[in-house]
Amino acid sequence: MIVLAIESATESVGVSLASSDGVLASVEISRGRRHAESIVPCVQFVCERAEVELAEVGAIAVDVGPGLFTGMRVGIATAKSLSMALGIPMVPMTSLEVLAIGESTTDDIIVPVVDARKSEVFWAMYRRSDHGVELLHQPTVGSVDDLISDLMARDQPAVCIGDGAQRYREDITAGFTCVIGDVRHPSAAVLAVEGVRRAVREETVDERLVEPVYLRQPDAQINWSTRQVRS
Amino acid sequence: MTSQLVVSSDTVILGIETSCDETAAAVVMGGNDVVSSVVSSQIDVHAEFGGVVPEVASRAHLESINPVVRRAIDDAGIDEGRIDAIACTVGPGLIGALLVGVSSAKALALAWDVPFVGVNHLEAHLYASFLEDPTLEFPLVVLLVSGGHTMLIEMQGHGEYRLLGRTIDDAAGEAFDKVARYLQLGYPGGPAIDRAANEGNPEAVKFPRAMMDEGLNFSFSGLKTSVVNFVRKNPSVDSVDIAASFQQAVSDVLVHKALKAAREVGATGVVLGGGVAANTQLRADLQAACAAEGIGAFLPGREMCTDNAAMIAAAGWHRLRALGPSRLDIGAFPSMPLVETGIADG
Ligand SMILES: [Zn+2]
Repeated sequence: MIVLAIESATESVGVSLASSDGVLASVEISRGRRHAESIVPCVQFVCERAEVELAEVGAIAVDVGPGLFTGMRVGIATAKSLSMALGIPMVPMTSLEVLAIGESTTDDIIVPVVDARKSEVFWAMYRRSDHGVELLHQPTVGSVDDLISDLMARDQPAVCIGDGAQRYREDITAGFTCVIGDVRHPSAAVLAVEGVRRAVREETVDERLVEPVYLRQPDAQINWSTRQVRS
Repeated sequence: MTSQLVVSSDTVILGIETSCDETAAAVVMGGNDVVSSVVSSQIDVHAEFGGVVPEVASRAHLESINPVVRRAIDDAGIDEGRIDAIACTVGPGLIGALLVGVSSAKALALAWDVPFVGVNHLEAHLYASFLEDPTLEFPLVVLLVSGGHTMLIEMQGHGEYRLLGRTIDDAAGEAFDKVARYLQLGYPGGPAIDRAANEGNPEAVKFPRAMMDEGLNFSFSGLKTSVVNFVRKNPSVDSVDIAASFQQAVSDVLVHKALKAAREVGATGVVLGGGVAANTQLRADLQAACAAEGIGAFLPGREMCTDNAAMIAAAGWHRLRALGPSRLDIGAFPSMPLVETGIADG
């Protein structure tokens, strides 16, 4: 089982191929923020380098957010259309879950925190389990103070990871004593390897059932100036 | 990548359009044979805001894109293996909306191993008329009027355009939306004004015809202000009369300048395009004026005037034939001008 993973929910964009043997090829770009431009060329690159034909891919894993709306949509649109065109199923995972799985060697509570802009963060809580991680606290959005209240309510040793944890490092640690981990962005390689595990267990879904996780209502602002370009 | 595709009358192109508030896909053969055309409108989701909300539009595009593509292929009654290339709008438009279509189109091109061709949405509007009448003769003047654009373009040949005039402020369609909103006629403004005007007297109020004798540019922001001022001073005047008079003022200016442009370039006719081209008054006035002038008036059906993907596939066919496929590392170009280079040099 070969899985192609597409990760673009944060400022980083990554594409990875994995099989039961582990990662076959992976590319991650964390500067530039040119997700839409990069993804398809990255898919071509990993396939060429790992000598994998798209026809050999058995499932598409994708990060469905939460994260940067435009970035995650680009990845989800690409992944869903690839899945539809190739006739293969998908393995959707949240950005928070991918971050947590990448940190699953600790016995502390794992708290992925993704920068949501506008002074807010997305977070969830996980604990290491026999088969990866177990969800303790549903993905949510709120202020850093809300996050600190959640950490205090649980009151267990915790490691916070992700670009939100790093951006608000001082605020978080001033409110609750915890470790801020090094992991900044969800990894396409982690997504691909976990994707293989789930695909082997047949935990895949039809492309039609894959939906983005926004956790925030759209800004209902009509910007008349943006309509200048409309036709 | 794919071996060089020979673009011919048998070439089947899947077109994709997501630049504003319509998610559309179409299958077109040979550049002008529309085999299927599916348009999923988001009017309902934007109606409560009275205009297009970019983030709401982007979300709706992501939900609709695959179902719309699937239906276009099903309606065409073809096997997906029959598709020779994917054409998609890359600009101008709302960036987040454009990127959904571009991402999906590139993924389909990669999966099916066929060329991808990026299309300019404005250029596609010019091709809408060729879908219905492939025998149109150059030079043509195109009056492109929509929610975002009001321009007069000389089309000298395939891919050869010259901008003759454009709005210096609001687009005509924007004026329709704003006036409809002010008169509380509903959203979208174009059809709402059209319906109301049908019951009203177009000569009830003599609204100004801005820049009538100054070149080929347009201005519509003053007209909107005139409507607001008039209604404030005359609250008892029926809104259907205001709508009809406003619509007549817009139509008069558009038709006057389109004919002036046609005379200047010696055009064989005037082609109408864009969402406002569905307006009843404008269609009737342009038809009459062109007949009086002894030149052609080419008015594509309403479905081809408003945003659709058949015109994208048609423009894609011409672009693919003339310039070859686009690179797979392009993104979207929200303020792409009509005359542009660099998207098809791969
Ligand atoms: Zn348009």
